[in-house]
Amino acid sequence: MIGADGLALATRGLRKSYGPRRALDGLDLSVPAGVVYGFLGPNGAGKTTTLRVLTGLVHPDGGTVEILGKPFHRGDRRRLFEVGALVESPTFYPYLSARANLRELAASGARVPSRRIEELLDVVGLCERANDRVQEYSMGMKQRLGIAAALLSDPKLLLLDEPANGLDPAGIVAMRDTLRALASQGKTVVVSSHLLGEIQVMADTVGIIASGKLVREGPLKELLATQGVVKVRVQPDRVDAAIATLAPEFPAGRLTETDRDEGWLSVRIEPNRAEVISQKLAGAGIYVSGLESGTDLEMLFLELTGGQAATGEGSFVGLADSDAGGATAGKGTVA
Amino acid sequence: MRLFFSGLRKLVRRPATWVTLGLLIGLLALIIIAVGATANERTNATREAAAKTLVTFPGAYDRILQFITGLGGLFALLYGAAIAGSEWSWGTLKSAVARGESRVRYMMISYVAVAVMIACGILITFAVGVVAGIIGAHLANVSTSGLGDSATLTDLPQRLLKGWVAVVEEGALGFTIATLARSQLAGIGVGIAFYFGEGFASLVLPDIVKYLPFSVANASLATGTSTVGMFSGGSSTLPADQAQVLVIVWLVGALVVAALFSDRAEIAG
Repeated sequence: MIGADGLALATRGLRKSYGPRRALDGLDLSVPAGVVYGFLGPNGAGKTTTLRVLTGLVHPDGGTVEILGKPFHRGDRRRLFEVGALVESPTFYPYLSARANLRELAASGARVPSRRIEELLDVVGLCERANDRVQEYSMGMKQRLGIAAALLSDPKLLLLDEPANGLDPAGIVAMRDTLRALASQGKTVVVSSHLLGEIQVMADTVGIIASGKLVREGPLKELLATQGVVKVRVQPDRVDAAIATLAPEFPAGRLTETDRDEGWLSVRIEPNRAEVISQKLAGAGIYVSGLESGTDLEMLFLELTGGQAATGEGSFVGLADSDAGGATAGKGTVA
Repeated sequence: MRLFFSGLRKLVRRPATWVTLGLLIGLLALIIIAVGATANERTNATREAAAKTLVTFPGAYDRILQFITGLGGLFALLYGAAIAGSEWSWGTLKSAVARGESRVRYMMISYVAVAVMIACGILITFAVGVVAGIIGAHLANVSTSGLGDSATLTDLPQRLLKGWVAVVEEGALGFTIATLARSQLAGIGVGIAFYFGEGFASLVLPDIVKYLPFSVANASLATGTSTVGMFSGGSSTLPADQAQVLVIVWLVGALVVAALFSDRAEIAG
């Protein structure tokens, strides 16, 4: 069941604070039914808090949540019978096997046919190790089991927090195929992830949050089309000249020096207009040695979130750039 | 019911269940057999008589039960703390809640399963204790004719039931402490501190401590002739019938606190 507005999940003005720290600050999410929804944000932006609220683990201070077309309040735990979730790390009884863990988990919440457990062990590729104790599992195997646990009730809405954590490349591809297949069956999959490349190839729609607020949401293709980026490479000693040439055409915020040493610039422009840049530079006697036309979720993400972790999370400072003032030294908006 | 049977299956497969039971049985059997084996070697006649009392039936039934409810109470406290704490430490409560399970139902049914396991543990330990008592009696050259004492055997089920309620109350305290601490280790640590703290406090504040959970659990099992252990409390011990009511009050109170906390807690991590 979905809402009249076609949404499988909607939050309006969702607020949550932990002491003085505001984790969610009026979050408005609109997740269409039957899509893979990429839920993005820097560390501490509020992604996990959102998933905790959506699964009834924490109680919001304000705002509303609608799951599969119906309001979800504190007492509506049965709404979660149609929701599967993997929030933060997968959790199991370490002394039980994978099969036993799924069986005992199935004893809570919605009823699950026993054959479902065998199906899921097969789906996540754990059949051969299903009788081994979970404490003997690798992180990737636990993650697979966590995904199986989230799928236990054959949910209409699936909430996954960093599902690719610990998975090997084959596991990531299999997970991606599984999630795409679920979406094609009309189920809705919300994937919170830091792996922007993974989201870019998997998601239909993305929502990007920063500091507990939604900063952009929409179909991925549309967002990238309007936020298209063309990367241009010129001789490193001609970077300043290239910037001076392009600056009048591309106002503040649209031209970024991404790597001075290698001579790379990023220009926000529709990808199908990349030749404009080449013409401009050639007209000024600056010859382009590399041109990467296309779209880049990472650029969009960094631009919308300011490329910063949330307050209190700190920045990850690269050692090589520490003398120059941090990892972002050498990068900056110049026009 | 599926949640209850799931709880039982989890406990049966849990190493802590068998370690706890094994320790209790091992200590009981070791003490009784060792006392029986050495009873005739005592140079002091009073000590020899005291040692033989331990392995002389029907009084031995009482002493075995007192041992189980005494040391077993502490073990039940630790066991209850381990079960509740692990639901938070391992995050398994989180998984159940995210599936739409009621927090209160989940935690309370988990404790009902613990109480059933405690009942099984008491019965098994008591049976082993009786066998150890018979062995000890033979080693001490004491008659076992009192084994079939009809008055004691008639009274035994009721005494076992009271013992179970007292131990379940102590287990519930550990369960609640670990729930409040959201941690196995913290629950066990605080539980031990509480247990021994109450024991030591009974030396200086007997009129207050006699109402506290471990003291009432101990007093509820008094036969009128003796109470044992660090919670005996001397003249400040409550009458058994009054203590039995307080045991129920502590048991229900502890579980209500655990339920309320579980219902309101924010589950993270």
